[in-house]
Amino acid sequence: MSTTAGDATPTDSGDTAGHGSATGGTGGDGDGALRADTTFERATIGLGTSLLAVVGALALGAIILAGSGQNPLTAYGAIIVGSFGDWFAIGETLARAAPLAVVGIGAAIALRAGVITIGAQGQLIAGSLGALCAGFVLRDVPAGVALPLAAVAGALFGMVWVLIPALLRAHLNVNEILSTLLFNEFAFLLLAYLLNGPLKEPKAITPKSEPLPDSVVLGDLVASTRLHAGVLAVVVIVALFGLWTRSTMGYRYDLFGENPRLAHSLGIPGRRIICNSLLISGALAGLAGWLQAAGLLQRLFVDIAEEIGFFGLVVAMLGGARPLGILAAALLVGALQAGGLHMQATEGIPASLSDVIQALILLGFAVRYAPQIAAIARRAVRSISESLSAVAAWGRPGSAPGSAPGGSQKRPEGS
Amino acid sequence: MSSDANPGIANEARAGDAGVGSGSISQARAAHGIGGPGPDHDNDGYAAALAFEGLGVSRAFGATQALDRVDFDLRPGEIHALVGENGAGKSTLAKIVAGTLRADSGTLRLFGEAYSPRRRSDGSAAGVAHVRQQLSLVRGLTVAQNIELGRPRRPGTTARRPWPRVFNASEARAEVERLAAELDLSVPADRIVDDLPLAVRQQAEILISLAWGARLLILDEPSSALGPLETEALITLCLRLRDEGTPIIYISHRLPELAELADRLTVLRQGRVVTAGTDVAAADLRRIAELMVGDISLLEVRRPDLELGEVRLEADGLLLAAEHGPGLRDVSLSVRAGEIVGVVGVAGNGQEELAGVLTGQLRPDAGVVRIDGTEVTGSPGAAIGAGVALLPEDRTAGLAADFTLAENLIARRVADAPFARLGVRLRAAVRRHARALAERFDVRPPEPALRAGSLSGGNQQKLMAAREMERDPAVLVAAGPTKGLDPHAGRAIRDRCFETAGRGGAVVIISADLDEVAELAQRVVVLSGGRVTDRFGVEEMTSARLGAVMAGLAWDPSGEAGRSPAGSGAPGATP
Ligand SMILES: Nc1ncnc2c1ncn2[C@@H]1O[C@H](COP(=O)(O)OP(=O)(O)OP(=O)(O)O)[C@@H](O)[C@H]1O
Ligand SMILES: [Mg+2]
Repeated sequence: MSTTAGDATPTDSGDTAGHGSATGGTGGDGDGALRADTTFERATIGLGTSLLAVVGALALGAIILAGSGQNPLTAYGAIIVGSFGDWFAIGETLARAAPLAVVGIGAAIALRAGVITIGAQGQLIAGSLGALCAGFVLRDVPAGVALPLAAVAGALFGMVWVLIPALLRAHLNVNEILSTLLFNEFAFLLLAYLLNGPLKEPKAITPKSEPLPDSVVLGDLVASTRLHAGVLAVVVIVALFGLWTRSTMGYRYDLFGENPRLAHSLGIPGRRIICNSLLISGALAGLAGWLQAAGLLQRLFVDIAEEIGFFGLVVAMLGGARPLGILAAALLVGALQAGGLHMQATEGIPASLSDVIQALILLGFAVRYAPQIAAIARRAVRSISESLSAVAAWGRPGSAPGSAPGGSQKRPEGS
Repeated sequence: MSSDANPGIANEARAGDAGVGSGSISQARAAHGIGGPGPDHDNDGYAAALAFEGLGVSRAFGATQALDRVDFDLRPGEIHALVGENGAGKSTLAKIVAGTLRADSGTLRLFGEAYSPRRRSDGSAAGVAHVRQQLSLVRGLTVAQNIELGRPRRPGTTARRPWPRVFNASEARAEVERLAAELDLSVPADRIVDDLPLAVRQQAEILISLAWGARLLILDEPSSALGPLETEALITLCLRLRDEGTPIIYISHRLPELAELADRLTVLRQGRVVTAGTDVAAADLRRIAELMVGDISLLEVRRPDLELGEVRLEADGLLLAAEHGPGLRDVSLSVRAGEIVGVVGVAGNGQEELAGVLTGQLRPDAGVVRIDGTEVTGSPGAAIGAGVALLPEDRTAGLAADFTLAENLIARRVADAPFARLGVRLRAAVRRHARALAERFDVRPPEPALRAGSLSGGNQQKLMAAREMERDPAVLVAAGPTKGLDPHAGRAIRDRCFETAGRGGAVVIISADLDEVAELAQRVVVLSGGRVTDRFGVEEMTSARLGAVMAGLAWDPSGEAGRSPAGSGAPGATP
């Protein structure tokens, strides 16, 4: 919000704004600036420092574990066994990483365009409903046709779920964080209603849907694991995202995120970019819902979304909003979650403690990519602060909302 | 000039040379005994405690050695000018003094004490204030609120209120008003800073830094966006602060104002000191100019004969209500091929809006803009398609700081033939293009992979110009095209403006720098209160006429209104 942050020579990040973390690292920001080749290939913190951070996080976790009467070594051992110990564990890790990566890519496209969405949770639920609906409709259609159609249905439902927030953001400058958060709530309530009413499997005690018809279910890739064929789709999506970052269209989205005023002066239509990036992220979150419904669980539960929507955002940030980074971050989070569950089960460690340990380790890894995360966060912060200043401007007589730099006052923005 | 013999005479001669005779300033200077190595500076007390001293200061950014064993000192009660070509390391040195950057090696002393700031807040706690061109007031707040926000903690003072620190609006307001009265500034305490003109915002920032206990002031190109009257006010303020005991490090590319206010001058070139702390009073203007820019003869204006063609840019009856400032009130303008029109006026009189509307970025409430007969009103896409190029007043609006040079230079033509195929960017071609273009426009260093934000201020300006002027634009709207450029780089960009016009472009120069307008334009339009209040050929441009019209008065050749603005940049010497 302070104008300092945007000084012409960004080494000034120093004092006022919250991204001072980039300076003074062992790697040095100057070197990184020189090495940078594209926007997001930015500096990382030196390997030594980042290893130290991970080790520090592990040590802190160990203290917490020991403090609550657990043996840290066996606990950490359980995480590794549960994530990579055998084929089943690896399958768990990959199956968890898959929707995270897909949601993360959607979030990354929006983040790069300066749009921050936390609606993946709701869009994911919508996408899983889409897969279920497709399943009911295509019950007797051959799998070769039904399967891809179910995926499309998932993506479409996810997109529809973000349509209203997208239009509100693009045309009325309604904060997308607020609106997508509310739509998460709607989605959750709708799912809970459907699974307790119309879609409830008649004889079941807990609310859940009937199993999806075989024609839309994704088969297992490896026997006796939960690794399903859907992960192959993830590989394709990561590749497509790689292409996106190299494309002229991706460039325009990035440019809009980096400097909306410049983008505007070059005739790049801001509203359309805001709208489309939300729709793309919605479609990808919907696909993640399809992966959950048609791949992993093969029916709908109330908690089908777990916390994938939010961790998807973590993955996008941790991965520096780049394809391979996101892939790595998704694997890390997937492994931690699979391992954490295993730790709970075998060591009798409470779920809450397991979550704390997972979060600590993630934080340790986050240090290495702090400069990149800061670069992305800057865009996110700008979009938040613009929304806030637009809201604040309503209170002031004589000043219209939407006057922030990226705002659209008196702008035609052909859409 | 045998100035070393008698400093007093030199001083007078110098004032004459600069064409400046503002009484109060000369008096202030005389009262302070400026005019050579006077007794002040030889005083033992001063020698013992320099305000600032840096020895062997080095700082590298990757392969770039921004500063190479620089020695620099600032005496109490002096204004020390720091000059040098773009990328010489001036801002880097300023940031090191302020604590924003750390030196790789070297020792710093502040008022005789060891000084090793680790961050900007250490610097401001020690009393070093750094006022950058991109001001750091928080938008949306009043001046009084800004004075409270970020007030540094100083050991041994009560500058920062003890806990609980409650914002006391009336106290803050009183503080602003007291300081404004003391410094003879008209800084309103209760106005939102966004609503203030740039010059006032700058004064507010200086005022706030004094309220925070600044003992040393660094001004980094404070005058580059100011007009002559505002510059004059700034100079008065600086001299006054100096006389009241606040030494100033003053960075600028403008010779006349340096001659007027600096006591000593240090020249940097490629990170090295080439002239250390020369006495300004003892040297003559020409010598200073040579120290600053080397070969002066290269700076001579070679004004080409421009042939006028058809009308290319046409704006008719533009009306625009703006949130801040007057907006546009019935402005019409037409520019022909080969023509350069200068738009002058005090900043904030509709210049920004005019640039926006002419390039299609702002949709006017009424009126049309046509380029070669095609309407482009309110459509940046159509304007770009018609060949519009824009150098915006605010550099941050014209560059993507986090993008590389290559990515910035390609922005207007990402999807064009050699740079993309089937919607995929071809990075090698983009990089080659970037290197060639950066070299052509003398962007230093011309490394395609560098982040644009890591360039020095002047080189960012060149980068922007390279992108916009690369291919002859049909219409070029340039707001302060040479802002922040060293004299040679400024010369190069002005020549390119001539070139653009020579190849049949219509050029609009919007600038606070009247010398620049006088040099480039054939025709001048005065903008005041959002209206065009006067139009004349450049040969009729005199400081008297400009001063009157810019102040919003009607021009009356015989009357009293034509008092001289006597600005350092006033075109008194124009043909
Ligand atoms: N953050 C950074 N990363 C990499 N290089 C940098 C960075 N900051 C400055 N430099 C380099 O250091 C050198 C000196 O820059 P500096 O900004 O000090 O120049 P300057 O003298 O202020 O020039 P100007 O007159 O254009 O403002 C330049 O070559 C610049 O590219
Ligand atoms: Mg500079």
